[in-house]
Amino acid sequence: MCPSDIEARPKQKVERREESTRPGAYFHPAVDIFEAADELVLLADMPGVSPDSIDVNLEGDQVTIEGRVKPEDYEGLKPLHVEYGVGGFWRRFTLGEAIDREGIKAQIKGGVLALHLPKAERARTRRITVQAS
Amino acid sequence: MAITYRDPLEQLQRELDRMLESAFGSAGASAAGVYPPGNVFDTGEEYVIKAELPGVDPGKVEVNVENETVSFRGERTFDEPNRDVAYHRREREQGQFRRVVRIPGRLASETARAEYRDGVLTIRVPKAKETRPRRVEIEAD
Repeated sequence: MCPSDIEARPKQKVERREESTRPGAYFHPAVDIFEAADELVLLADMPGVSPDSIDVNLEGDQVTIEGRVKPEDYEGLKPLHVEYGVGGFWRRFTLGEAIDREGIKAQIKGGVLALHLPKAERARTRRITVQAS
Repeated sequence: MAITYRDPLEQLQRELDRMLESAFGSAGASAAGVYPPGNVFDTGEEYVIKAELPGVDPGKVEVNVENETVSFRGERTFDEPNRDVAYHRREREQGQFRRVVRIPGRLASETARAEYRDGVLTIRVPKAKETRPRRVEIEAD
């Protein structure tokens, strides 16, 4: 199998964040979201974000992810040629499922956030056997 | 009242926005048609090339510095979930990438360094000695 080339997609700037307290530019991270029987998994590309500069917030049925880049990574650098904007990442999702808050797990490695949102017991898929009469 | 930037990153972001706007007509976005987009910086002593490559195995990235070009290539692959799942969104892409970045100056390629941290590839290439800024002492009696 020959892998294809990655198609370039421009970064999308977040125009307006609610309750924005921190200055600076934010972008929408590209995400994959998939659902298994017992959990929702969200993977988000957040390059430049280290484990100590990420926040995950669950409020009601909304989950918000926010990551910041380190200003010191850009100290003393004078831009000569620019192809992408630098900044943090922010995105909010409305969850269609009840989530078990205590069981949420988040980790970030190589600039990819993996967020595991376990479904609350009552929201888990149940297989219902249809009985023939 | 003068506006002061407390955050040096904010100042850089404004400068990057201004340069992106003049080059591509849209601030804050990125160049169309190239993956991954790369930024080239100057520190005086060296050139610094940065590219956002989240979730890439650094062992699968090859960096080459030659004359006035820096090139890097590799592959981004994901582990597919090994269970029954339903995708709600699929925006992240996998596949091969290759970029060649022309540097506006001569390079000391033998002392180039590259690192991969938090999903960002950073390549540092010192300028060739004869092109580095040099302070000239003034002789006086």
